[in-house]
Amino acid sequence: MMQEILILGRGGQGAQTAGNLLARSFFEKGQFVQTFATYGGARRGTPVTSSIRVDDSPIQVRCNIELANAMLCFDDSLMDQAFLANADNKTAIVVNSARPAEYFADLGDYKIVPVNGRHIAKSHGMGKVINSALLGAFVAIMGQPGIDVLCEVIEQNAPTKKQENVAACREAFELLSASCVENSK
Amino acid sequence: MNAILSNQNLQLLSGNHAAAVGAKLANPDVSPVYPITPQTPILEKMIALQSEGLLDTEILTPESEHSALAASISASLTGVRVFTATSSQGLLLMHELLHYASGARSSIVMFNVNRTVASPWGFWPDQLDSLAQRDTGWIQLYSESPQESLDSVIQAFVIAETARLPVMINHDAFYVSHAVEPVNVPDQSVVDGFLAPFQPSVKLDPEIGRSFGAPIAQQPWNESRQEVDRAMSGVGELVTSTGRQWGDLTGRRNCDMLEAYRCEDAEVVIVTMGSMCGTARDAVDNLRKQDVCAGLLKVRLFRPLPAEALRQALAKIPCAIVLDRNYSPGTGGILHQELKGVLYGVDHPPKLHGLLTGVGGVSVSSAKIQHLVTTYKDAAPSFEPVWTE
Repeated sequence: MMQEILILGRGGQGAQTAGNLLARSFFEKGQFVQTFATYGGARRGTPVTSSIRVDDSPIQVRCNIELANAMLCFDDSLMDQAFLANADNKTAIVVNSARPAEYFADLGDYKIVPVNGRHIAKSHGMGKVINSALLGAFVAIMGQPGIDVLCEVIEQNAPTKKQENVAACREAFELLSASCVENSK
Repeated sequence: MNAILSNQNLQLLSGNHAAAVGAKLANPDVSPVYPITPQTPILEKMIALQSEGLLDTEILTPESEHSALAASISASLTGVRVFTATSSQGLLLMHELLHYASGARSSIVMFNVNRTVASPWGFWPDQLDSLAQRDTGWIQLYSESPQESLDSVIQAFVIAETARLPVMINHDAFYVSHAVEPVNVPDQSVVDGFLAPFQPSVKLDPEIGRSFGAPIAQQPWNESRQEVDRAMSGVGELVTSTGRQWGDLTGRRNCDMLEAYRCEDAEVVIVTMGSMCGTARDAVDNLRKQDVCAGLLKVRLFRPLPAEALRQALAKIPCAIVLDRNYSPGTGGILHQELKGVLYGVDHPPKLHGLLTGVGGVSVSSAKIQHLVTTYKDAAPSFEPVWTE
């Protein structure tokens, strides 16, 4: 069964890189992947979408994802109805936000999990580089492809601060894993 | 580990990086390239490969696409292997020299990323940029996937250097250019065995007194075009034989002019090019589950148009639906126009629909294609452009 995943961020935040790292992690676990980013002109701050498909067999469709199994949002100001149009009440949604989950209740019947990626990244000396922390949280909520493979891929691909990236990723994963286990009971 | 994946030497590459790796394997001597979104990753990857010592080519970055093609033509005529890449406005800026490149019988291989043409400004997948160059004398191939893009670059050098005509390979912006997928990268030894060195019998050489492109009288000018026509007429067979050889070496299938998918007993066939072919194949599989006997005819070679192969492929098909991701104002979809010409005079031609689908890069899902097929298969065709969004 094909899984479809969306990552939404602002140009410069690393959403496209996060999509590539996540896809590579699934690929390392032996799955077929397709990931593509769509954006307009190269402008920082404008929305960038990364789409990821994962399947046991080669992927042939080439179009936008209309209903995602999981979504990651880098900026809670992007959590609008246009983004949520790609979700239903089964879609696992992780949003980078310092706000509590209740804040997002008005958006509708969605499974939205906020994570303070900025805070986690900062505590590991990562400044504004939040994508490794957010990926750790996202993988915890999705339950796949696994934190070890993700950390290996991050370590191989991070241009600098490899250990800091991995530490931020693991902390976010562990933080969210606890709540995930709680929810699945 | 997935059995299919573990049995192959696969790398994760975007379509653009796959094109650059294909170019690297073909080992061009000169690569004049001007960057433009969404082609830029091709140039970036080539520079990265060069800086790592893996690509030995002279990369020229002149001040415009026009100059990049001027440099490509001159280099090719001296008898060296030339690769270039562009997109959209960049291809349009090259227009004057596209004619020159084929008239002068250069063997350039160009990669074009299909992108909307301004105005309004946009960066989206739409094939009008290259289709508008259909009369410039370039061989045109359309690629569906990063794998096909890599493979097509390597095959294109055989085709261009044998036919003495330039080849333009096209893939759609984002859906292929930026799609990162598992790609089988062949060993250099496989490519070296497949692609013979470029050794043209006639070339620019300061040791030999010879003029290229000098003004000539009407009759020899006319003959120059008849020579291009003779070269073009052999390209279909050349594409087939080159694709077959590549398939024998790599196990790759579907390297021919056309690909017919589940067309044998089809009552309705979707005809399209580029990235939409993959989605259409998925739509065909789903339609079959709903007892709609659908098929897909993928057009890989657009110039020269494989007219006879198209007639044969559609000979016993009751209905064909062309999906055009382009719009030619005043006529409609360009592939639709071409098919009307191909099928003229054929006994019992299929009912032919032309649908403007995905123009401007609008996403076209499998569900949408399934809906279009069920809506139009029993409808009367329209001579007017049909917009589906």
